[in-house]
Amino acid sequence: MSVDEVPVHSGGAPALEVRRLTVSYETRPVLWDVDASFPTGALSAIVGPNGAGKSTLLRAALGLIPADAGQALVQGRPARSALDRVAFVPQRDAVDWDFPITVREVVEMGRYPVRGWLRRLTGEDRAIVDEALERVGMGPFARRQIGRLSGGQRQRVFIARALARQAPVMLLDEPFAGIDARTEATLLDLLRELRAEGRSIVVVHHDLGTVRASFDWALVLNVRAVACGPVGEVIVPQTLRRAYGTDAVNDGAQDGELRWVR
Amino acid sequence: MGPLIDALPFSYTVSVIALGAAVLGLTAGVLGTLAVLRQRTLVGDALAHATLPGVCVAFIATGAKDASTLLVGAGAFGLIGALLVVGLERSGRTRPDAAIGVMLSSFFALGIVLLTYIGSLNQSGQAGLESYLFGQAAGLVERDVTIMAALGLGALAVVAALFRPLKSTLFDADHAAAGGLPIRALEVVMTALLVVAIVIGVRTVGAILMVAMLVVPAAAARQLTGRLAGVLVLAGLIGATVGVTGALLSAQSGLPTGPVIVLVGFLVVLACLLLAPGRGILWRARKLARDRRRLLVEGVLIDLETALHGGPPPTQHELALASGRPRRALRRALGDLERTGALARDGERIYLSESGAASVHAVLERRDLWSAWLEHGWRLELPDAREPDPRDLRASLGDEHADRLRALAAEARA
Ligand SMILES: Nc1ncnc2c1ncn2[C@@H]1O[C@H](COP(=O)(O)OP(=O)(O)O)[C@@H](O)[C@H]1O
Ligand SMILES: [Mg+2]
Repeated sequence: MSVDEVPVHSGGAPALEVRRLTVSYETRPVLWDVDASFPTGALSAIVGPNGAGKSTLLRAALGLIPADAGQALVQGRPARSALDRVAFVPQRDAVDWDFPITVREVVEMGRYPVRGWLRRLTGEDRAIVDEALERVGMGPFARRQIGRLSGGQRQRVFIARALARQAPVMLLDEPFAGIDARTEATLLDLLRELRAEGRSIVVVHHDLGTVRASFDWALVLNVRAVACGPVGEVIVPQTLRRAYGTDAVNDGAQDGELRWVR
Repeated sequence: MGPLIDALPFSYTVSVIALGAAVLGLTAGVLGTLAVLRQRTLVGDALAHATLPGVCVAFIATGAKDASTLLVGAGAFGLIGALLVVGLERSGRTRPDAAIGVMLSSFFALGIVLLTYIGSLNQSGQAGLESYLFGQAAGLVERDVTIMAALGLGALAVVAALFRPLKSTLFDADHAAAGGLPIRALEVVMTALLVVAIVIGVRTVGAILMVAMLVVPAAAARQLTGRLAGVLVLAGLIGATVGVTGALLSAQSGLPTGPVIVLVGFLVVLACLLLAPGRGILWRARKLARDRRRLLVEGVLIDLETALHGGPPPTQHELALASGRPRRALRRALGDLERTGALARDGERIYLSESGAASVHAVLERRDLWSAWLEHGWRLELPDAREPDPRDLRASLGDEHADRLRALAAEARA
């Protein structure tokens, strides 16, 4: 995709913006003075090596961990007061897969904050849940316990939960980590559909090839924001070298593709 | 409580004990489940041990020996213990399990010191506080049970009212917090509820073994259902049953109540672990054996078909040689086939009956379809994440997709 196709809106606030964000665990800064913004209606990526602070950025933006300094804005409003506009898909490594809960119940959790935490779900909510399940192709699994699914299926369920939230901004942390290629392709298509519907999507992703091919916008992060902008301008050897270190990235001389060596 | 006690088919004292044990089992079962799902059962253990010095301090301070007064002390120390555990964990200086271990043993040591001190006072009627170590159901009075029931019902009402927020926090705290839920506050609520359950149970079950009443019902119930609401309800019922059974057995036998309740609970968990449908160890072993047997029988059916294709009907001996299967396995499989009427015999020689030929046909078709799926399945571009079942692919794919798959395979072969 070329730069001028990027749906960057000239007016209006960005979907997600962080200003001068600094976050530390104990005394070690994990994010340092990060400025970044992600445009409305775009499919954006956050890339960077392991431990770069990608998850921390999303978690701090949502107020799940305290920031030392800086602020996060969702559609121009302080993120803490705009949580109803964000659907979050956390990294899956902390989830207890033996938890007694069915696929359908997980997706229903996407409706709780919308309906009110103490309220019963209505018929409308149930219809939205059904639709979300269908959309990620998990309809036939609605009654299954969450642990009896493959990694890809679990990720579909988590994305369905975010869909059920019906929020204009979606933040996904490593949704494609450890899932099969077919599921990745399906889910990427789904994200593109969602973008076409006008939603803004920010994905933490480790595969630079996919980011180049399918995303509009990227933040290259390694504690500091190395670069933030349209993919064509940002996913280039200079910035990647600065983020990943010199020997991590080679220019493919023949095909002009970036080869990514772990 | 009066009418309930009258309704039970026991003497007054036994009815009071049974009711008390039911209340404690119910609350410990439900509230313990929350701790188990948070992977915080050790905290429950530490808090139970922390109640022991609380009981002693309450006795020293007031001289009262009725359960209700002493349990106020137990509750206070339980909360102090909870604060200390969380504080030590948050300080980041020790790992959580070490923090819990330190708290548990220190509180318990303090409790033992205080118990010994109280023993040395040698007052008349010094309250038999030792029963708080191993538990004692005898001596529960109606007033205690009424207070236990009020506390327990209050705690259960909180769980019912906060069911959805609790479920969300337990399953995925990050997602819940991103939805605006105050998860820290909910964690405090859950810990406070845990203290309530312990306070209700500690006199009957004892500080040392109280953790079992928190864990056992949850562990058993989880084997029986895969939904949180189901686990909570079942854990409550199992807890009540175990509590009542154990308390009555102990009251009759004069054994300390805690160990008897815990042993009863252990039997229940063991039964559930072994037998629970879909999950139990024996249940699974049986299913696995059945699946293996079915595969074996299908394999022998195909061996036989192959042999018949190549020559005259084989004897059992020839079939064993041709297929290379162990004789015992072959004999069993032939026995199964014989029983379903798939075989016909001509003296020693075996061939297929009409229904046997039909089953071979079905098996071969299933296998073809499965290998077609493995090779060409991706070309179907299934619209959803469905998971094909190798035993019956046609049913899991649906006729339409199965037929397309066959067409794809045929096309590839041509
Ligand atoms: N809870 C935590 N306590 C202390 N350090 C942490 C914690 N979470 C993450 N870190 C550290 O912060 C850094 C950034 O982590 P993270 O945001 O998860 O990186 P990424 O998602 O980019 O791989 C890592 O070095 C990690 O070790
Ligand atoms: Mg991460």
